[in-house]
Amino acid sequence: MRVAYYKGCLASLSAKELDSSTQALAPRLGIELEELESVTCCGAGDIHEAEPDYYLHLNARILAYAEATGCETLMTICNVCTLNLRQANFQLQGDDALRVRVSENLEKVGAPPYGGTVEVKHLLWLIAEGDGYERLKQVAHKGLKGLKVAPFYGCQILRPSKLLGFEDPDRPWSLEAIIEACGGEPVDYPAKVKCCGFPIIQAREETALGELIQPVQQSIEAGADAMVTPCPLCHLSLDAWQSKLEAQTGQRFEMPILHLSQLVGVAAGLEDSELKFKRHVVSVEPVLEKLEAP
Amino acid sequence: MDVALKIWRYDPDSGERELRHFEVEAPEWACLLDVLDIVKDQVDGTLAYRKSCRMMICGSCGMRMDGRAVLACKERMKPIVERGHVPVVSAMGNMPVLKDLVVDMQPFWTKIRTMKPWLDTGYEEVPEHGEFIHSQEEMNPIHKEALCIMCGCCVSECNSMESDPEFFGPAALAKGFRFVGDPRDRTKIERLERYNDEHGIWDCTRCYFCNERCPKGVDPRDAIAKLGAESIRVGIDRDMGAKHAKWFVHSAKTTGWLRETELVPKTQGVAAAIKETKFALNLFKHGKVPLPFPPHVAKNVQEARALHELVGAQGRDGAAGIVQGERALARIEHTEHGGVQRDAPAVTPGEPTPHAEG
Repeated sequence: MRVAYYKGCLASLSAKELDSSTQALAPRLGIELEELESVTCCGAGDIHEAEPDYYLHLNARILAYAEATGCETLMTICNVCTLNLRQANFQLQGDDALRVRVSENLEKVGAPPYGGTVEVKHLLWLIAEGDGYERLKQVAHKGLKGLKVAPFYGCQILRPSKLLGFEDPDRPWSLEAIIEACGGEPVDYPAKVKCCGFPIIQAREETALGELIQPVQQSIEAGADAMVTPCPLCHLSLDAWQSKLEAQTGQRFEMPILHLSQLVGVAAGLEDSELKFKRHVVSVEPVLEKLEAP
Repeated sequence: MDVALKIWRYDPDSGERELRHFEVEAPEWACLLDVLDIVKDQVDGTLAYRKSCRMMICGSCGMRMDGRAVLACKERMKPIVERGHVPVVSAMGNMPVLKDLVVDMQPFWTKIRTMKPWLDTGYEEVPEHGEFIHSQEEMNPIHKEALCIMCGCCVSECNSMESDPEFFGPAALAKGFRFVGDPRDRTKIERLERYNDEHGIWDCTRCYFCNERCPKGVDPRDAIAKLGAESIRVGIDRDMGAKHAKWFVHSAKTTGWLRETELVPKTQGVAAAIKETKFALNLFKHGKVPLPFPPHVAKNVQEARALHELVGAQGRDGAAGIVQGERALARIEHTEHGGVQRDAPAVTPGEPTPHAEG
């Protein structure tokens, strides 16, 4: 399956390990990545709030470049990119006058026109069912040997479901299915569908940390060895801001956080140079040691 | 049909909570509220819950079913019974429970009042030339927000409010946009100043639970984004949340990609960023603080720059950018199975709203 690949800002910058593990994993899963070069940030919800008409044009431009590759699917690896792109698609597909104005604007600046033919799908959705899931089961030969993994969905891959709609936003199953297919054991906890606080972690740190602590604490109580998330923003707050939770509560958490592509990558036997666990703030060593134990 | 359900009871006198199981006979068309009425009439008269109109317009019967905030009068029980599921009914979240399924809405109303939820036209008496006529097109931007019935379902699951109980919350802020976007109101700036409070617009964490739960299609999170966009449009951008948002725009039109490392000083100011040096150094050690030089520039970024200039001159700035292409619940169509059809005609400024049929 050939897809247009939009990696977004973080996988190009602070979360390069997400890009390298995705690039290494995709061919094994039968996904051929057509990387988009002439694209920008989706605005991460911030441009949608600051200058919504500009947000719409930036996302239409990304969709237009994806369309120009001839692919039917634009694959994302970030919740926030997924929502922003799908929201723009929804807005444009439902309003003829708007679509014409935006498409004309794109052409005026030299970008391809927007035709609305591309569907935006997260990597998670491509490997949780159908052919992708069958390939996943074959690829994850190394297994996770009963590793207890806490799935953390984050918000913008579930809600609003009228824009996302892959699974029940209150009873999602995709991450659990993937953990099981990789030989791991999913653990359940209520905050797996709640917010990590990342969008306001700089502007309202206290409010954000009050949200962040819930999944971290609950996954520890549920006996998880690690958490996995399909979103690099959730990853950044769970991994990098964990030290702030520790400072605030006086507790030691040391909960390793894996990107989805890394979790599957470990089970598929990717190299260290592809997984790049050294780029994590919280050490992933305990997970790797547990998997290597006889 | 035989309906089984569990209800979390709460007795304020003893402070005890108890999950009680009930089974009653109900007609096939029954909704959750009908079933609660049967329980109260036939099994336990002490069960407490709020209700009034029974037709999704008064907003009284907000409660949780299986952890989701719903209007009891909107939830049909037949599909649940057919699945063999026994739902758990409980009081809404983020508000103190008074008894059983009844919550104290006082904090909710206090926040609604903070928004000054009345029209301020700037005049006391009707001027000599008579009434002001406003077109449907002018009113369309607040079409969705005007649908709010203040049931509290959005507030029940608000993740920011759970962490910061002072957060104005989705219902109050949606009410705020209902007036900021009203062409008859003359106090837009004062309102936006007020809503840019520490616990206001920029305290929203974008968890989208409010959009997911709203039984009327108000989409409160979108209303909060509209308030943010209007604030920035008129220059009310002192809040760190506004500065954070503006830096994304600046990044997109200069390098195309987010200028991640500069985001902290641009949001919090240089002094606050320096205080975070130790934290930042630890992140830097793990490659989480990419160097700003050489900048990561997108190919053909001149298109993104040109687009910014082009759309800036087309008059769809501020909330109008979100209102365009928006699909509101212009009408509720009941489906064959008793559920509601949520797809509705698009509302576009400049075009009349389609008439409801029937």
